[in-house]
Amino acid sequence: MSRAFNSSLRAGLVVTAIALAVAACGKKEEAKQADAPGAAAAEEKVLHVYNWSDYIAEDTIKNFEEKTGIKVTYDVFDSNDMLETRLLAGNSGFDVVVPSASFLERQIKAGVFQKLDKSQIPNLSHMDPDIQQRVALHDPGNEHSVTYLWGTTGIGYNVDKVKKILGDKPLDSWNQIFDPKEIAKFKDCGISVLDAPDEILKVVLQWMGRDPNSQKDEDLTAAAEKLQLIRPYIRKIHSSQYIDDLANGDLCIAVGWSGDILQARDRAAEAGQGVKIAYSIPKEGTIVWFDMLAIPADAKHPKNAHAFINYLMDPQVAANNSNFVNYANGNADSLTMVKEEVKNDPGVYPTPEVKAKLFPSLAYGEQATATMARLWQKFTTGQ
Amino acid sequence: MKQSSTFRISVLVFGFAFLYIPILSLIVYSFNKSRLVTVWGGFSTQWYGRLLENRQILDAAWLSLKIAAINATGAVILGTLAGLALARFGKFRGRTLLSGMTTAPLVMPEVITGLSLLMLFVVMEGAFGWPAGRGFTTITIAHMTLTLAYVTVIVQSRLSSLDDSLEEAAMDLGARPAKIFFLITLPIIAPALVSGWLLSFTISLDDLVVTSFVSGPGSSTLPMVIFSKVRLGVSPDINALATIIVLLVTIGVILAGIFMARQEKRRLRDMQMAAAAK
Repeated sequence: MSRAFNSSLRAGLVVTAIALAVAACGKKEEAKQADAPGAAAAEEKVLHVYNWSDYIAEDTIKNFEEKTGIKVTYDVFDSNDMLETRLLAGNSGFDVVVPSASFLERQIKAGVFQKLDKSQIPNLSHMDPDIQQRVALHDPGNEHSVTYLWGTTGIGYNVDKVKKILGDKPLDSWNQIFDPKEIAKFKDCGISVLDAPDEILKVVLQWMGRDPNSQKDEDLTAAAEKLQLIRPYIRKIHSSQYIDDLANGDLCIAVGWSGDILQARDRAAEAGQGVKIAYSIPKEGTIVWFDMLAIPADAKHPKNAHAFINYLMDPQVAANNSNFVNYANGNADSLTMVKEEVKNDPGVYPTPEVKAKLFPSLAYGEQATATMARLWQKFTTGQ
Repeated sequence: MKQSSTFRISVLVFGFAFLYIPILSLIVYSFNKSRLVTVWGGFSTQWYGRLLENRQILDAAWLSLKIAAINATGAVILGTLAGLALARFGKFRGRTLLSGMTTAPLVMPEVITGLSLLMLFVVMEGAFGWPAGRGFTTITIAHMTLTLAYVTVIVQSRLSSLDDSLEEAAMDLGARPAKIFFLITLPIIAPALVSGWLLSFTISLDDLVVTSFVSGPGSSTLPMVIFSKVRLGVSPDINALATIIVLLVTIGVILAGIFMARQEKRRLRDMQMAAAAK
């Protein structure tokens, strides 16, 4: 039921987003003129933040409030679609939002965000130049956004169950997922795949040795055909359920997001039922994604928003957040303060060799989005 | 005869099991020690303690309750007016239109209701600065739009099953329409109002779709917070909260049930007395 609801809600959100994007284009100019005089006036000590759920250390907000006297209203979302709908409707009321980079890319084009005043964010000097460069593919010149946390899309698995099937062979290749002969070995123990069509199609293309960000019809169709072959072995297509399912031992393999799988690992350890979970980044390379801090063009408290972003980029604060949520941050100077087990976990901070093979997930154009939706529909229904 | 009674009992048991086992398991798991919602790790009340520390969930729950109560009250007042017009005012011009329009939200997909309300609020704010931003007010208005229809239907059906002669008799005896409404009609339809209120309250309390569209900063309702947590798995303190809510709802339903049973009894007695007086 939740799934049916989820997809109908998502369909609604996508329609809304499109409708609002059209409306937003017209409003863009208006908004720019409107916020010029507001910025000069003194700001109320208030800040509205909209972030992913469970995506910040427990005391970060409290410490920021104590330090600056700014009262923070903190709301959470669980999908980029939800955030996009709010943003495109205009006047969302939020001052700092955290879209993923590929969504941010589109939203910048729709004129949703203001350019950051970098003089107000001195902590930008701590940023990792490599990450900055990767993010610039989405946000040219890093003008609108700052990397909050980042992660990869890879394979989470139940160590013991996989060992029983593979023996001493490691699970470290997309081939073991996308080749029907290989995946058939795991048939009975449960495989789940993210319900994130663009990401899955992109990793399949990468595995096939093609350009992962190709938007060509023939590439997308070819990837979908490969996916169709492994469809019978996939038990679930879902973007969050695999956390609990892995931790409970109901699933063998889940193609999912790094932080979520590490969360499953910790939860399984905590439950003490003897389930061991590990995360692996396939050697063919995979998607690296970024969640970006940005300020909507019509934010009412841009100054506080800058102060908040600056605070988050303080190396100690960034390290605390990474320690708490198990995601890598984009702050090079925080690394010394990140806990050993997080820092040395190749699932969180990949080794340089692996890092070289990571590629960004760039936003699809309209044509490719439509093709993707059609192909994915076919895949999920299994027809 | 014997056979059919075992059959009936098993159907009854199965039906109740179907309805209540999920809720029971939720209550049981709220006393689970483990962080995993579905793995039993021993008895503990720690999640109730954790719940009390979780400001985010408590604030959301409080907000949801406030919205639900205001929404239910507003919906009952407006819905009663609409129901009264539909049941008592005969065939006035535009009656079909009114009845169609008030019940439309019942059949409209919530996504569409939500989207159109969002658009409306954005346009209104642009045109005359109200409502400023989205939040408590907009959510309450949206919920009223949604629940008004339910109350209207309930009140209307109650009124049409009601004997006009009582009101006519009151009129004969010289009561003004307002007096008739408050002294005669309202007490008789009170059970319908109570169930309408409860229904609106419940619908508002668990609405997610419409709320998602029309909420703003600082106004995440309980279902929104819970749903956003699904990404990382539901944490057991939500089970604890749900248990408390189930408890409150049970008490509320029992009280309403007692009240309605009393009303019904009195109505029957009054009717018997009226019949005897003839």
